[in-house]
Amino acid sequence: MNAFFQYFLNGIITGGILSLPAIGFSLLYKILRFPNFAFGSYLTCGAYTALAVNLVLGGSIVWGFAASLVVTAGVAITVDQLVFRNLRQRRPLTLAIVSIGAVFILENVIRFIWGGGLQYYRIPVYRDMYVLGIHMGREQSIILLASCIFMLLVEGLLKKTRLGKAMRALADNPLLAEIKGIDRERMVILISGVGGALAGASGVFLGIDTVIDPLMGFNVILSIFAAAILGGIGSARGAMGGAMVIGLAEELSLLLIPSTYKSAVGFGIIILILILRPGGFTKR
Amino acid sequence: MSSYFIAIGTFVGIYALLALGLNIQWGFTGLVNLGHVGFFAIGAYSTALLTVHGMPFAAGLALAILLSASLGALVAMATLRLREDFLAIVTLGFSEILRLFLINEDWLTKGTNGIKAIPRPFREAFSQGYDLFYLILVGVAVLIVFLILDRVRISPFGRVLRAIREDEDVAQVAGKNTFRFKVQAFTLGAGLAGLAGFFYAHYVTYISPDSFVPALTIYIWVALMAGGSGNNKGAILGAVVLMGFLEGTRFLKDLIFFLSDVRLAAAREILVGVFLILLLIYKPEGVLPEERK
Repeated sequence: MNAFFQYFLNGIITGGILSLPAIGFSLLYKILRFPNFAFGSYLTCGAYTALAVNLVLGGSIVWGFAASLVVTAGVAITVDQLVFRNLRQRRPLTLAIVSIGAVFILENVIRFIWGGGLQYYRIPVYRDMYVLGIHMGREQSIILLASCIFMLLVEGLLKKTRLGKAMRALADNPLLAEIKGIDRERMVILISGVGGALAGASGVFLGIDTVIDPLMGFNVILSIFAAAILGGIGSARGAMGGAMVIGLAEELSLLLIPSTYKSAVGFGIIILILILRPGGFTKR
Repeated sequence: MSSYFIAIGTFVGIYALLALGLNIQWGFTGLVNLGHVGFFAIGAYSTALLTVHGMPFAAGLALAILLSASLGALVAMATLRLREDFLAIVTLGFSEILRLFLINEDWLTKGTNGIKAIPRPFREAFSQGYDLFYLILVGVAVLIVFLILDRVRISPFGRVLRAIREDEDVAQVAGKNTFRFKVQAFTLGAGLAGLAGFFYAHYVTYISPDSFVPALTIYIWVALMAGGSGNNKGAILGAVVLMGFLEGTRFLKDLIFFLSDVRLAAAREILVGVFLILLLIYKPEGVLPEERK
């Protein structure tokens, strides 16, 4: 029984980490009508930016985290403007292929600078906390707290501000939103920036929770995709909920299947959704 | 030196088969496949596992094509009925899960050790010049596949595929069961990747999960896009261009001696990514544009 609760807790933490990149991915998927695989790479960029601050400049991980938000937002906007903007009129699937090209570039720029090996942040080690036999690292509790705060911030941005309402309107019905005078290009830049920053934050969390390597973002892209589909593409709240379900499913699957197939869980859920509920669970 | 060119030629042939397969899926029908390498791996492992245990090459060939084609059909059927754009993630996921399977299921695939000493067809018949024979074998296969596919292109079947690519609703209004056509096109492409896997396994005689990295899928996309999507000759030309690029950048090592191997490999992949993006932005029709006929 303890094992169950332990995996459950880990699942919530994984879900929190996955929810952040899933938000921008899902909104942009609906607005631009293609899955941007580069979101996985934005996550990797965030992790390595924090690593640069932490190891090379000797700054604390908090500074690294702040830097990664800014840098990743910049990377996401740059990729959009330099690459995707030139292709807006093409078939959406062409852009999916282009985004794989962008993954290839970003991932290998990182490999060029840092090499392919595993890296870790230099952070002070604290004793794990034990509550009722379930252990939880200090970092894990901070990650959980921080990702909850980020989710609340996104929720607030989307629900309470004019800008957020415009973003949601665009994701809900792009054509109608444009007729009502919402500047699509401007919104795409903004969502790319916010989405990129969130993915960067997620990368730092993932780097703290596990390890940092050039493939870390590519390895979670299936889970991000599954979260977005599960929540209904274009819904930020759905993406967060979907990410929680995926995180829990991935960790709880360890009770049943060997850990080597953990990353297959997201894929299995995608297939199940395709067969059972093509529109996701919140829409249609 | 001539043995170098024979090796290059054989690889061009294998890449050409892969590019021709992708051309049916994307070039003709507009179906995205980001897991082409997975079907290639299925073909290579099927024939390798059968023939190292003494089964005939014909059995290996049959299983390589049939298994990759049926898995292609399965992937297509699970995805295409609902949302075509999900094919991007399902194919990518398929090839990744397959790689996990190849790495972890030691009992079948020998895991990361890979399969060694894969036999080569008609090897005993040659005391010398075997590699040249194998190149001709691959070349003949490419030629036959090319001739068949170029018939397919102008056949009624091929016309339906292109109609689906241009506007699926119109094809449906014209009374075509577009779902069936799409599944058939995807199956055909996957089967061709399996055939390429057959020739690859018996050429290199050693395969492991590392031979089937996702980067290979991107290479084939670059080949098809450079040569000319929708054009069978373009797919073959693209394979030549790709091989030229891969070999050409190997000589970078002598020029840029201060780069480590990891950095050199990374630089090469960055170039591939940049090349792919520039192609799609500035020259989406490739060197040989689709023939309108």
